[in-house]
Order: sequence, then structure tokens, then C-alpha cells
Amino acid sequence: MTITDLTSMGKSQTEIRKEINERLKKLQNEISDYCYQCAKCTSGCEAHKLLELEPHKIVALTKRGLIDEMINSDVIWTCMSCFKCRERCPQKVAPVEILFALKNMAVASGKQIPGNYTAMLQSVLSIGLLQDIKNVTTKNNKSINRNDLNLPEISKPTDPTKFQTILSKLAVEKI
Amino acid sequence: MKAEKKEKKYALYPGCIMPTEQYAYELSLREILPKLDIKIIDLEGFSCCSEPIKSVNQMLTLALSARNIAIAEKEKLDIFAPCPMCHLALSDCKKVLDSNPEMKEKVNNYLKEEGLKYTGNSDIISILDLLHDIIGIEKIKKQVKKPLNEIKIATHYGCHLIRPSELGRPDDSENPQKIENILKAIGAKTEYYPEKLDCCGALLSANLPDSALTKTGQKLKSVQELGFDAFVDTCPWCHRQYDARQEKAGSIIAAKLQVPVFYLTQLLGISFGISEEKLGLNLNQSPTETIKGEKP
Repeated sequence: MTITDLTSMGKSQTEIRKEINERLKKLQNEISDYCYQCAKCTSGCEAHKLLELEPHKIVALTKRGLIDEMINSDVIWTCMSCFKCRERCPQKVAPVEILFALKNMAVASGKQIPGNYTAMLQSVLSIGLLQDIKNVTTKNNKSINRNDLNLPEISKPTDPTKFQTILSKLAVEKI
Repeated sequence: MKAEKKEKKYALYPGCIMPTEQYAYELSLREILPKLDIKIIDLEGFSCCSEPIKSVNQMLTLALSARNIAIAEKEKLDIFAPCPMCHLALSDCKKVLDSNPEMKEKVNNYLKEEGLKYTGNSDIISILDLLHDIIGIEKIKKQVKKPLNEIKIATHYGCHLIRPSELGRPDDSENPQKIENILKAIGAKTEYYPEKLDCCGALLSANLPDSALTKTGQKLKSVQELGFDAFVDTCPWCHRQYDARQEKAGSIIAAKLQVPVFYLTQLLGISFGISEEKLGLNLNQSPTETIKGEKP
């Protein structure tokens, strides 16, 4: 199994489109209708000052159905997932969750996954963890890892084949 | 009562970053918890909780979190997840599956491949639940042999430890105080600072690493300017930013950063009189040896 299988959910583009539209409709109906654009989310947004993310506009755009524009924009990938918007929204709208959904849609519709996410995903597929054991440098410049520190053996999936079977089944599933 | 009856047992869910890179957290946890009558059980077979790649596929996060919970449930153990990001993923998963039988069945269909089943019988415990609420301040105080000599510490909770409160986080989302309470118990001083709730930016490391480091650097710069002696955190992601990447963060925001950064568990260990080596202090990349006052 490859990352493409996992991220494209192994389906044709038309089906993906249909699914995305359904999810979008759900998002529009269930979440964004409550938003009255007070912009409390944006005032506390960790990515706002630095990267110009405006969560209240994300909600407004979702409401208007401008999904293609958003999933084709890099701005959805500037969210730091700090959850302040979800915590503080007086209407319980949770822009951070809309952003997760939009990023998932972008990936599912075949857009390239930005940055290091591909490597992390690949690592989870092959060893079950985001990364393998790394060497670190001590204050006296020695390069060591957990084995040199007498830490117990690392916990990871014992049967990688079975683990990958689960992941491949997940690949054709949606939330 | 016999000593072993007082002891509480938890399955340690190590996650990814702590056991593959942030060894000081794991070392210090394994040193202090036995002294506080907590027994850590190591289990085989855990995987990533998938929270860091939730942006790519949320279903993966839900299913892999359920898988990890199921491994501990099989041994009839509650789970201690020291990484706040893992703790959030597992708590989120538990909330979804316990309230949605249909989804639970769906997820269990994947898990049976490995002979696992999510039942919802195990509790998910965070570092603050464990230290502050289960062990408690009084018990921590009894272990203190070398109080921290009034050093002034800036606390950093990390976003995932306190938000979203809807998912049952271990401390208040706007005014968390449990780390402060613990630090006072071991003789340190704390003080509020305006950037206390700011994010470290770590989750942007995947695609916008310089922006992530800008967030990291900005917070440390304020802490330094406000005259704190040290900075404390409990999250391997945050710690990697503030400690291992501090120098880089400084160069990105054009500031010379020299903030000693510790895991809360390391400071507890120091106050309990545990040796620096056992607490992994030689693995901290920030200048932990320059801390003011008596050398801890």
C-alpha cells in the first residue's frame, strides 16, 4: 500500500467529489450557520498575526460554499491546531475543525500534501511511528539514543503486516 | 496496608516523539513516578496516535487512537499518556466512540485484524491528572529533599493539555494553575506573564518550519526579557521547540536566546534529590546549567 492509496481513499474522482460535497453540506448546515462573524476566533488566532489566517472568514467562505477556493489555497495549512478558536467561540462553531475537514478534503481530492506530512505518513505506514529512534547530542557532545540510556525497548506494532492491513482498510473509509 | 497495595498501575502510552527523541522526559518520568507510588507498565505494540497527521486524514487519528486504547484495555489497565497531544487524541477518540455505537463498531471492525477490541473500559490519564490530582501536592511535598531555592519559573502548558475543554482537559483553558501549584510545592516561584497561553507552533514544523520557530522564539524572548530564571513544559513537541530548537528559533527572530528549559518531571526529580544524569539533564540543549541561585 502506498500513501496515494491512503490519501486518495482509493476512489475515483467523481466519487470523491460526491463525498466532499456531502461533507461540505454537513459542515454548512451543522456548523457554520451559527456563526455571526464576531471574529473572536480571529482575534485570538495563533496563526493570524504571523500568517494571516482569519478563521471567521474561513467559516464565512464555508457558508458561501467557496470550498474549491479554500482547498486550493495554502492558507488552510497555516493553522497551528491550538484550539483557541474552538474554545472561545460563543456559538461553538470550531473553525479549527472546519480547517481539519478542509485539509482532509484537499488531500482526498488529490492535491499534493505539503511539507513533511508525507514523510510522517510514510513512517507511520512502515513502522507505526512518526519517526524511528533518533540519535541526540549530549551536553558533552556525545551522540546517543534510547538504547544507550538503558530505556526499555520501544513500543511499536508487533506485526507490521497486520498493522498495514488495518491502514489499507482505513484508506477506503471516511469519517 | 502493604506498600504494594498503595501503588497505582498504569499502562504507559509513550507516543512517538518522547521514545524516539525526547529521552529526558521518559528518563525523568521513570525516575520520579516510582517514588510517588506509581507503577508504569510497558506494553508492546503501540503505534502513533496520529494526532500530528490529523490534517491529512482524521479517520486515521480516530482508528489508531482506538487501537492504542484497545491494547491497554486488553491488559485491563488505565492509560497514562505523558504527551498532551497523544492524551488529546485518545480522549477525543474515547469521547467519540463511547457516544457513537455505530462508529465504535466500524472502528472495531478494523481492529479485529490484530485481535483487538475497543470497549471504553480504560481511563486516559494526562501528566497533570497524574501529578496534581492522583498523586497530589501533599505527596509530592513529602518527597522534596532539595527545594528549588525560589527560582522564578515561567510555565508553559501547551495547547493540547488545556484545550478544547469540551473534551475534558486536565486544567482550565484560560487560567491553568496546576503546574504552578506543583512548582510551589517543590520550592520554586511562578509568575503570570502575558504570553503564558501562547502556542509553541510545533505543528507547523511539518510544512512551515520557520514560522513554527518564530512562534517558539517570540515566546522565549518575552520570557527572557521578563527575567524568568527558567521555563518549564510537559509536552515533547513543545519541549523540542523550546529546548532543542531554541538556538535556531533565536536566529530566526534575530535574538540571542538563553532560556533554561526543563521538563516539569526533571524539576520534580531535581527537588527529590535525583542525580542530573538519571533525569537526562545532559540531554537538554538549552543552558540549564546557568540557572540562577543554587545550582539545582
